[in-house]
Amino acid sequence: MALLELRNLHVAVAGRRVVKGINLEIERGELHILMGPNGSGKSTLLKAIMGIPGYTVVEGEIMFEGRDMRDLKPHERARMGIAMAYQSTRPIGVTLSRLIRELCRLYGTSPADVSGLGLEELLNRELHKGFSGGESKRVELALTILQRPKLALLDEPDSGVDLESIRVVGKAINRLVERGAAVLLVTHTGIVAEYLRRVDEAHVMIDGRIVASGELPHLLREVRAKGYSGLAGGGANERS
Amino acid sequence: MSVVDELARAGGTALYLQRNYDVLRRVVADSLRRRGLLLEPLREAVSRHSWVRKLLWRALPREEGVGLHGAFLYVPPGLRIQAPLTFCFVVSEAEQLVHNIVVVDEGSEVLMTSACASTERGEAHKGYTEVYLRRGARLNYVMIHSWMRETRVTAKTGVEVGEGGSFTQFYTCLKSPSTLTSDSRALLERRATALLSTLYVASPGSSTTISSTLILAGEGSRGEVLARAVAVRGAALRLPTRIEARAPGSRGHIECRGLQLSPDSRIETAPILCSLHGGSQLTHEAAIGKISEEELYYLMSRGFTEEEATSLLVRGFLETGIKGLPKVMRPQVEAVLSILARKAVG
Repeated sequence: MALLELRNLHVAVAGRRVVKGINLEIERGELHILMGPNGSGKSTLLKAIMGIPGYTVVEGEIMFEGRDMRDLKPHERARMGIAMAYQSTRPIGVTLSRLIRELCRLYGTSPADVSGLGLEELLNRELHKGFSGGESKRVELALTILQRPKLALLDEPDSGVDLESIRVVGKAINRLVERGAAVLLVTHTGIVAEYLRRVDEAHVMIDGRIVASGELPHLLREVRAKGYSGLAGGGANERS
Repeated sequence: MSVVDELARAGGTALYLQRNYDVLRRVVADSLRRRGLLLEPLREAVSRHSWVRKLLWRALPREEGVGLHGAFLYVPPGLRIQAPLTFCFVVSEAEQLVHNIVVVDEGSEVLMTSACASTERGEAHKGYTEVYLRRGARLNYVMIHSWMRETRVTAKTGVEVGEGGSFTQFYTCLKSPSTLTSDSRALLERRATALLSTLYVASPGSSTTISSTLILAGEGSRGEVLARAVAVRGAALRLPTRIEARAPGSRGHIECRGLQLSPDSRIETAPILCSLHGGSQLTHEAAIGKISEEELYYLMSRGFTEEEATSLLVRGFLETGIKGLPKVMRPQVEAVLSILARKAVG
């Protein structure tokens, strides 16, 4: 049984269908990369898996460890082992140190689990308030690690950050994988992949559909050669 | 000697405990007594020291019918006391009227805490506290109170801060009563500073008014009023605040935030800035709102139930009001905030 299985998944936001028939399986410990242009539905897909209200499954199924997730609230999904690192978020009215303390209590983890991610200066600040892009990405990944997830949903952890921060982001993702987490990583450019020890499979999503899946180097070459628009006509879940 | 007495003595501090009108404990560490610190019932102090009588109702408007049932604290010049001097007032029957006077002499630095509470038979507590800080004196005053719902509470604090002096006041209530009226006002002389901070969670159906006033009377004086207030089901909260600048180079700021956890709660902020001198600078910001769904779902997606997430956000909201709190009091106040945050969603 796959850890995560999406079966013909359709997701609507404010009545508009954004994800249109996704089929995807992720096994335990696998790292999948999901690429695609802006507005292709990548973030919507992750939020639907996480169960965020407003991202409505209108057709199909999200199965996690063989269980249909449809009626579960976000906190129930999190406690089953799904965690999400957000692409961007408004300030959250809790200090980072308080949230770290509470997550460690909830998941039996330790602040030492996120050492080396450069959080020290941010601990007494309100979460994401005035954080730089790189700081927010590092913090999101650290919080995800502290949840000790079976499946980590990472929404563009490499966008809008400098190369040094991308290196730290890569390090954090490797740490997640070392600890046995499966990862679904959304990225525009795939740059972060250069810092990852292993990528099991990559997918290209365009207009709510997965149009190509296969090995990352091959897909990256295709994207660079043809552009996303060149892959758009390839049909759903075409294997490279 | 009780454990409490021993702790106060060994810790180099002082303790005053009054139930209704009976003084149950009055302990001063020998080291402080030798250096001239006085802690006595106000009635005794007025009869012994003629200068104390002159301070009665100087920092507060006179209230008829209030006797001399309270504490008098005098801190001599040049004394720095790190451990808190503690005052406890408990009303366990009918009405308790308390009048306290605190004098901190030149250059001294003191941390003072008050713990006021009531039992089920305590119908009303009225507390009047006058504080006089002489030149360069510093007082951190932390009030952590806990009231039975039935008790009616009135608290008035009047402060005079002498030249270059500093006064900070933190007020919070572990259990808020159904009716509370609090009024704190401080008058600042030349280059004096003051911070009046309130962290309050109004209990269901309660009616609360917490007023704070700063008079910037001296050149270069600076003051800030901070309020963080949370209203739950049916609670009505009023937070009138006022800063009046009367001298050049004075600066004042009001920051007042309210959080409504229930649609039938009510919060009213009324910040007033009044400048009587063109060389002063006064600002204010006030905001009232509810917890945003985005914040709530973010925390829920990290594994917290809706109640846990709300409690975390309430705690975070209150925590933004404790800047300037003395380090030694932080653990106690943080523990209080955690309890308040849990109660707010309970």
